[in-house]
Amino acid sequence: MKVIVIGGGWAGCAAALQAKKSGADVMLLERTDMLLGLGNVGGIMRNNGRFTAAEELIDLGAGDLIDITDRCSRHKNIDFPGHKHASLYDVTKVEPEVRRYLHNKGIEIVLQARVVDVDMENKSIKGIYLHDGTLVDGDVFVETTGSTGPMGNCLRYGKGCSMCILRCPSFGPRISISQRAGVEDQLGMKGDDSFGAMSGSCKLNKDSLSEEIRDILNRDGVFVTSIPPEDVNMDKLNIKVCQQYALKEFAENIILLDTGHAKLMTSYYPLEKLRKIPGFENARYEDPYSGGKSNSIRYLSVAPRDNALKVDGIDNLLCGGEKSGLFVGHTEAITTGTLAGFNAVRIGIGLRPVELPVSLAVGDIINYEKEMRKTPEGLKNRYTFAGANYFARMKDLGLYTTNISEIKERVKNLNLTDFFNEKLI
Amino acid sequence: MFRYIDCADYGSEFCPCSLAERGECIICSQLKNQKFCDCLNWKGTCVYQEFIWNNEKSKKSREYRKFRIVEKRYLREDLILLKIKVNQGLARELCNIGAFVFLKPERDIEAYSTPISIMESDIINNIITVVFKIEGVKTKALKECDKEIMVKGPYWNGIQGKKYIEDLKNKSCLIIGRGVALAPAVLAAKKMINNKNNVYVVLDRGRSEEHFTESYFKSYGCVVKPTKICNMNKYILDDTRELLQHLLKKWNYEVVLSAGNDDFHRLILNYIHNLDPYIKFATVNNSTMCCGEGVCGSCQLRGKNNEIIKTCKQQFNPLEVFGEELNSK
Repeated sequence: MKVIVIGGGWAGCAAALQAKKSGADVMLLERTDMLLGLGNVGGIMRNNGRFTAAEELIDLGAGDLIDITDRCSRHKNIDFPGHKHASLYDVTKVEPEVRRYLHNKGIEIVLQARVVDVDMENKSIKGIYLHDGTLVDGDVFVETTGSTGPMGNCLRYGKGCSMCILRCPSFGPRISISQRAGVEDQLGMKGDDSFGAMSGSCKLNKDSLSEEIRDILNRDGVFVTSIPPEDVNMDKLNIKVCQQYALKEFAENIILLDTGHAKLMTSYYPLEKLRKIPGFENARYEDPYSGGKSNSIRYLSVAPRDNALKVDGIDNLLCGGEKSGLFVGHTEAITTGTLAGFNAVRIGIGLRPVELPVSLAVGDIINYEKEMRKTPEGLKNRYTFAGANYFARMKDLGLYTTNISEIKERVKNLNLTDFFNEKLI
Repeated sequence: MFRYIDCADYGSEFCPCSLAERGECIICSQLKNQKFCDCLNWKGTCVYQEFIWNNEKSKKSREYRKFRIVEKRYLREDLILLKIKVNQGLARELCNIGAFVFLKPERDIEAYSTPISIMESDIINNIITVVFKIEGVKTKALKECDKEIMVKGPYWNGIQGKKYIEDLKNKSCLIIGRGVALAPAVLAAKKMINNKNNVYVVLDRGRSEEHFTESYFKSYGCVVKPTKICNMNKYILDDTRELLQHLLKKWNYEVVLSAGNDDFHRLILNYIHNLDPYIKFATVNNSTMCCGEGVCGSCQLRGKNNEIIKTCKQQFNPLEVFGEELNSK
């Protein structure tokens, strides 16, 4: 039984890993020359409700990737405005670690393989076509192609290609596989009712900052300084994808996090203005390269799906990550990717796919996002354990806790301890 | 289903063209009445980006320029070879597989524009060589040109399935053709030889004692086998069938380039496809063209899903258009 995972970001890696652990032959296809996609420039884990979700994944038996990000963390248990107990993984270390881990598990990883079309038979996908026309057959398919870019979308809905880590011009554009299979994409919206949303952070080259800032980042993981009043731009919060960081503090302050790069918690920031700030006189961008001007546009390609993450209308296509909903973050991608990979195997051997229980945050967020996406307001929201509406919901429902033994107990009471470690084949 | 689709102008100095400006781009969904990216091919540039940065206008299209004829030779009473001195840029742009130009006498109106394939482009002396057969009113007009001629170009869609030839390296290709249609195969052969491929040419001399392309093919290092290929494009002669079977076995061709008219393509392509379904096909483009910009509609044909193909600039997989078995499914 062969599972093909399309897209090698965090969700795709999680899906491939889970499908392999559940016993399938797995091929992971990635458009670029690196796995992890936007995970190569992210790094924030375990902040706010993500802590709970990470621990739930570990107890469910899907903690492999969380272990890697924990191991690769430069800073643990740090606080920054609106966020507590965050870990920041080192973006320069995590991709090779993940790649080796998947390789050692026996997953066939194919890089620079852009999937452009599907071969359908009734409501099933028989195979997928690579950009050069090669047909790859499979039994079940997981789409984790994300919802970011390509450059035409970043131009129409943003401020143009900002040369981000996805590198569409070099490796070719993302193609929506579900759409090619005949299922229309759904679109997220910005606060001003236009479509899409802009990525919420850019990264500075740490060496371009003053020694003092570098030392603080290396020591504390966080550096905060105020923005000159004339340069404060509250409007930028509305267009931002990461609503957990769309707080007043983020408009009034420069907030840097140390992920190996100096992660600047705003979508973009004009270089001339940035260099007016003490310590930033020589600043330059690491990702996106044109972070002084723009950032990538996301949420233009979300598949309709059920709570088992099967795409509506296609018998053997599942989805994870941003493709599966208006989710933000690595933990959310790992969560949805894992479930999609698991259910791919179940569908492949003729079993009904499963949902995660709503008494766990990892199950509730999938159900909640699906419900909310039906409403216009819901299309403007983003869904993350780390903040905005969903973190408030976690607290209201009593799902949020940092008590590891309590989380363990919850999973145990559901008889789901190590659920994802059991082989299906 | 995977679609072999490309636009010969995509990514060139002429892209985006007026089709994009009017929401009819062959490649880009954003420029074909869609609001989202779903491009049908990708070659490293974004047509939409180019369009926006060009102030939402198309790029300037090709225009006629007057050039000097440095040699005019009758290969037969109805077959003329012209060598035209062009500028450096045009010679260079025409030194590509599938290159062609529109030619017309200076005094005639645009309707006399005749698409003619480039047989050779000398990029040192900036001389292009073309061969045309006098068949109708447009080629009769070209015959009148002795010293000067109007040239519009470059165009690049003179061969369908171009990608298969361009991608070929350290492999082997069979060129099979007859008549004036072999002219574009000469330039294609040169490029393939440059890419260290073995090129075998089976050609029909027709009424001539020696085909005008033979010396070119031989000078590049192709193996040339003159033979009578078929009877009125209706059936392939027994001897040629045997020859083809023998060659296919011996050389294990990756690509076959058919250089004849469309009936010839159909005959050759289906015969060889039945012998070896893995061989890829390229065909010289015989479409009737007037504008070369995908606008006038004279070159249009229908693909297997009844979609319109603007063959003056749009690439298709010849097997999908000329393959009988596929089309009857």
